[in-house]
Amino acid sequence: MADTQPQLMDRMFQRIMRGLIDTGRPPHYAELARALGIGVEDGRRLLHAVMAAYPIGWLHPETDYIASFPPLNGLPTQYRITVRGEQKWFAQCGFEATSVTWLFPGESVRIDAPCLDCGDPVTVEMRDGQIVWVDPPGVVGHLNYGFGPSRGRPPYL
Amino acid sequence: MNLFRSEEHARRWTQFNPASEVGFISLPELAGFFGTETRRHMLDADYLSAWFPKRAAERREYVTRIGRAVPFWLGTPDA
Repeated sequence: MADTQPQLMDRMFQRIMRGLIDTGRPPHYAELARALGIGVEDGRRLLHAVMAAYPIGWLHPETDYIASFPPLNGLPTQYRITVRGEQKWFAQCGFEATSVTWLFPGESVRIDAPCLDCGDPVTVEMRDGQIVWVDPPGVVGHLNYGFGPSRGRPPYL
Repeated sequence: MNLFRSEEHARRWTQFNPASEVGFISLPELAGFFGTETRRHMLDADYLSAWFPKRAAERREYVTRIGRAVPFWLGTPDA
Protein backbone atom coordinates (compact mmCIF):
# COMPACT_ATOMS: atom_id res chain seq x y z
CA MET A 1 0.00 0.00 0.00
CA ALA A 2 1.48 3.34 -1.04
CA ASP A 3 1.45 6.32 1.30
CA THR A 4 0.62 4.18 4.32
CA GLN A 5 2.32 6.06 7.08
CA PRO A 6 1.96 8.34 8.83
CA GLN A 7 -0.42 10.67 7.01
CA LEU A 8 -2.88 7.96 5.99
CA MET A 9 -2.84 6.50 9.49
CA ASP A 10 -3.61 9.93 10.89
CA ARG A 11 -6.50 10.25 8.47
CA MET A 12 -7.93 6.86 9.44
CA PHE A 13 -7.53 7.65 13.11
CA GLN A 14 -9.56 10.81 12.71
CA ARG A 15 -12.21 9.02 10.64
CA ILE A 16 -12.66 6.50 13.43
CA MET A 17 -12.77 9.13 16.15
CA ARG A 18 -15.14 11.36 14.17
CA GLY A 19 -17.33 8.38 13.37
CA LEU A 20 -17.61 7.55 17.04
CA ILE A 21 -18.38 11.15 17.93
CA ASP A 22 -21.00 11.52 15.22
CA THR A 23 -22.80 8.20 15.62
CA GLY A 24 -21.70 6.64 18.91
CA ARG A 25 -20.38 3.61 17.00
CA PRO A 26 -17.02 2.85 15.43
CA PRO A 27 -17.00 2.49 11.64
CA HIS A 28 -16.10 -0.74 9.83
CA TYR A 29 -12.83 -0.92 7.92
CA ALA A 30 -14.67 -1.21 4.60
CA GLU A 31 -16.41 2.09 5.31
CA LEU A 32 -13.12 3.62 6.34
CA ALA A 33 -11.45 2.36 3.17
CA ARG A 34 -14.09 3.95 0.97
CA ALA A 35 -13.84 7.24 2.84
CA LEU A 36 -10.06 7.26 2.43
CA GLY A 37 -10.14 6.25 -1.22
CA ILE A 38 -8.25 3.00 -0.75
CA GLY A 39 -9.13 -0.64 -1.38
CA VAL A 40 -11.05 -2.64 1.19
CA GLU A 41 -8.17 -4.97 2.02
CA ASP A 42 -5.79 -2.03 2.25
CA GLY A 43 -8.32 -0.51 4.65
CA ARG A 44 -8.29 -3.62 6.80
CA ARG A 45 -4.50 -3.64 6.96
CA LEU A 46 -4.39 0.04 7.69
CA LEU A 47 -6.86 -0.44 10.53
CA HIS A 48 -4.54 -3.00 12.10
CA ALA A 49 -1.63 -0.58 11.70
CA VAL A 50 -3.62 2.20 13.37
CA MET A 51 -4.59 -0.04 16.28
CA ALA A 52 -0.97 -1.13 16.70
CA ALA A 53 0.03 2.52 16.87
CA TYR A 54 -2.79 3.23 19.35
CA PRO A 55 -2.53 0.22 21.67
CA ILE A 56 -4.77 1.67 24.35
CA GLY A 57 -7.64 0.65 22.05
CA TRP A 58 -8.32 -2.82 20.66
CA LEU A 59 -10.22 -4.89 18.15
CA HIS A 60 -12.68 -7.50 19.33
CA PRO A 61 -10.63 -10.74 19.61
CA GLU A 62 -10.32 -12.72 16.38
CA THR A 63 -12.13 -10.03 14.38
CA ASP A 64 -11.48 -6.77 12.57
CA TYR A 65 -14.18 -4.97 14.55
CA ILE A 66 -13.20 -1.97 16.62
CA ALA A 67 -14.26 -2.73 20.19
CA SER A 68 -12.51 0.08 22.00
CA PHE A 69 -11.11 3.36 20.77
CA PRO A 70 -10.52 5.47 23.84
CA PRO A 71 -11.77 7.53 25.30
CA LEU A 72 -14.91 6.08 23.69
CA ASN A 73 -15.94 2.44 23.37
CA GLY A 74 -17.77 0.60 20.64
CA LEU A 75 -18.77 -2.13 23.05
CA PRO A 76 -21.14 -0.76 25.71
CA THR A 77 -19.72 -0.28 29.19
CA GLN A 78 -21.29 1.00 32.39
CA TYR A 79 -19.94 4.48 31.60
CA ARG A 80 -22.71 6.18 29.66
CA ILE A 81 -21.98 9.53 28.10
CA THR A 82 -24.64 12.15 27.42
CA VAL A 83 -24.14 15.27 25.31
CA ARG A 84 -26.90 17.73 24.30
CA GLY A 85 -29.41 15.51 26.11
CA GLU A 86 -28.50 12.52 23.96
CA GLN A 87 -26.99 9.38 25.49
CA LYS A 88 -25.42 7.50 22.63
CA TRP A 89 -21.79 7.08 23.72
CA PHE A 90 -19.91 4.83 26.10
CA ALA A 91 -16.51 5.50 27.62
CA GLN A 92 -13.84 2.80 27.72
CA CYS A 93 -13.59 3.04 31.52
CA GLY A 94 -14.18 5.43 34.38
CA PHE A 95 -10.83 7.14 33.90
CA GLU A 96 -11.20 7.61 30.15
CA ALA A 97 -14.70 8.93 30.80
CA THR A 98 -13.14 12.09 32.23
CA SER A 99 -11.33 12.62 28.93
CA VAL A 100 -14.44 12.53 26.73
CA THR A 101 -14.95 16.23 27.47
CA TRP A 102 -12.08 16.98 25.06
CA LEU A 103 -14.04 15.43 22.18
CA PHE A 104 -16.92 17.87 22.64
CA PRO A 105 -15.44 21.35 23.03
CA GLY A 106 -17.83 23.91 24.48
CA GLU A 107 -20.38 21.21 25.34
CA SER A 108 -21.57 19.85 28.64
CA VAL A 109 -20.59 16.17 28.87
CA ARG A 110 -22.33 14.02 31.46
CA ILE A 111 -20.98 10.71 32.74
CA ASP A 112 -23.46 8.33 34.35
CA ALA A 113 -22.43 5.01 35.83
CA PRO A 114 -23.63 2.61 38.50
CA CYS A 115 -21.30 2.20 41.45
CA LEU A 116 -19.87 -1.33 41.23
CA ASP A 117 -20.38 -1.80 44.97
CA CYS A 118 -24.00 -0.79 45.45
CA GLY A 119 -25.40 -0.02 42.00
CA ASP A 120 -26.40 3.48 43.03
CA PRO A 121 -25.65 6.20 40.50
CA VAL A 122 -22.40 8.06 40.05
CA THR A 123 -22.75 11.25 38.01
CA VAL A 124 -20.06 13.62 36.81
CA GLU A 125 -20.63 16.53 34.48
CA MET A 126 -17.75 18.27 32.72
CA ARG A 127 -17.26 21.09 30.28
CA ASP A 128 -13.98 21.82 28.51
CA GLY A 129 -12.09 19.73 31.03
CA GLN A 130 -13.64 21.33 34.10
CA ILE A 131 -15.79 19.39 36.54
CA VAL A 132 -19.07 21.28 36.89
CA TRP A 133 -21.19 18.76 38.81
CA VAL A 134 -20.50 15.65 40.88
CA ASP A 135 -23.02 13.44 42.62
CA PRO A 136 -22.33 12.22 45.21
CA PRO A 137 -19.60 14.69 46.18
CA GLY A 138 -17.23 11.91 47.35
CA VAL A 139 -16.79 10.24 43.93
CA VAL A 140 -13.27 8.82 43.52
CA GLY A 141 -11.33 7.05 40.84
CA HIS A 142 -9.80 3.67 41.55
CA LEU A 143 -7.16 1.70 39.67
CA ASN A 144 -7.56 -1.94 40.68
CA TYR A 145 -4.55 -3.63 39.09
CA GLY A 146 -2.07 -0.90 38.28
CA PHE A 147 -0.65 0.01 34.92
CA GLY A 148 1.85 -2.14 33.10
CA PRO A 149 1.69 -5.59 31.54
CA SER A 150 3.68 -7.16 34.38
CA ARG A 151 0.58 -7.05 36.57
CA GLY A 152 -1.22 -9.42 34.27
CA ARG A 153 -4.60 -7.77 34.20
CA PRO A 154 -5.94 -5.07 31.89
CA PRO A 155 -5.80 -1.77 33.77
CA TYR A 156 -9.16 -0.64 32.43
CA LEU A 157 -10.94 -3.24 34.58
CA MET B 1 -10.20 2.10 36.18
CA ASN B 2 -13.51 2.81 37.75
CA LEU B 3 -15.47 5.54 39.46
CA PHE B 4 -16.99 4.78 42.87
CA ARG B 5 -19.27 6.74 45.12
CA SER B 6 -16.50 6.82 47.73
CA GLU B 7 -13.36 4.94 48.78
CA GLU B 8 -15.47 2.87 51.15
CA HIS B 9 -17.65 1.74 48.26
CA ALA B 10 -14.56 0.73 46.29
CA ARG B 11 -13.22 -1.31 49.22
CA ARG B 12 -16.56 -3.12 49.51
CA TRP B 13 -16.54 -4.03 45.80
CA THR B 14 -16.38 -7.82 45.56
CA GLN B 15 -13.50 -7.59 43.05
CA PHE B 16 -11.49 -5.03 45.01
CA ASN B 17 -7.82 -5.91 44.84
CA PRO B 18 -6.30 -5.60 48.35
CA ALA B 19 -3.03 -4.50 46.74
CA SER B 20 -4.76 -1.53 45.17
CA GLU B 21 -4.96 0.77 48.20
CA VAL B 22 -2.48 2.93 46.33
CA GLY B 23 -4.88 3.01 43.38
CA PHE B 24 -7.22 5.74 44.63
CA ILE B 25 -7.27 9.13 42.94
CA SER B 26 -9.47 12.13 43.61
CA LEU B 27 -11.78 13.23 40.85
CA PRO B 28 -10.00 16.57 40.25
CA GLU B 29 -6.65 14.76 40.01
CA LEU B 30 -8.16 12.20 37.67
CA ALA B 31 -9.58 14.94 35.43
CA GLY B 32 -6.10 16.46 35.37
CA PHE B 33 -4.47 13.12 34.59
CA PHE B 34 -6.78 12.57 31.63
CA GLY B 35 -6.77 16.22 30.65
CA THR B 36 -3.08 16.77 30.01
CA GLU B 37 -1.91 18.59 26.91
CA THR B 38 -2.00 15.70 24.45
CA ARG B 39 -5.59 14.89 25.38
CA ARG B 40 -6.61 18.32 24.20
CA HIS B 41 -5.44 17.50 20.69
CA MET B 42 -7.40 14.30 20.10
CA LEU B 43 -9.30 16.01 17.29
CA ASP B 44 -6.20 17.35 15.56
CA ALA B 45 -5.44 15.91 12.13
CA ASP B 46 -1.99 14.77 13.29
CA TYR B 47 -2.95 13.46 16.72
CA LEU B 48 -1.80 9.89 16.15
CA SER B 49 1.60 10.77 14.70
CA ALA B 50 2.38 13.98 16.57
CA TRP B 51 0.57 13.94 19.91
CA PHE B 52 -0.13 10.38 21.02
CA PRO B 53 3.59 9.46 21.14
CA LYS B 54 4.09 12.19 23.76
CA ARG B 55 1.40 10.81 26.01
CA ALA B 56 3.47 8.31 28.04
CA ALA B 57 6.04 10.88 29.15
CA GLU B 58 3.29 13.32 29.95
CA ARG B 59 1.52 10.76 32.13
CA ARG B 60 4.73 9.93 34.01
CA GLU B 61 5.28 13.61 34.68
CA TYR B 62 1.72 14.04 35.94
CA VAL B 63 1.70 11.07 38.33
CA THR B 64 5.04 12.26 39.69
CA ARG B 65 3.58 15.73 40.23
CA ILE B 66 0.63 14.35 42.21
CA GLY B 67 2.85 12.12 44.34
CA ARG B 68 2.14 8.76 42.72
CA ALA B 69 5.50 8.00 41.17
CA VAL B 70 5.28 4.32 42.12
CA PRO B 71 5.34 1.24 39.84
CA PHE B 72 1.58 0.72 40.28
CA TRP B 73 0.90 4.06 38.58
CA LEU B 74 3.99 4.35 36.43
CA GLY B 75 3.44 1.00 34.77
CA THR B 76 6.93 -0.15 35.60
CA PRO B 77 7.74 -3.56 37.12
CA ASP B 78 7.47 -3.85 40.89
CA ALA B 79 10.77 -3.54 42.68
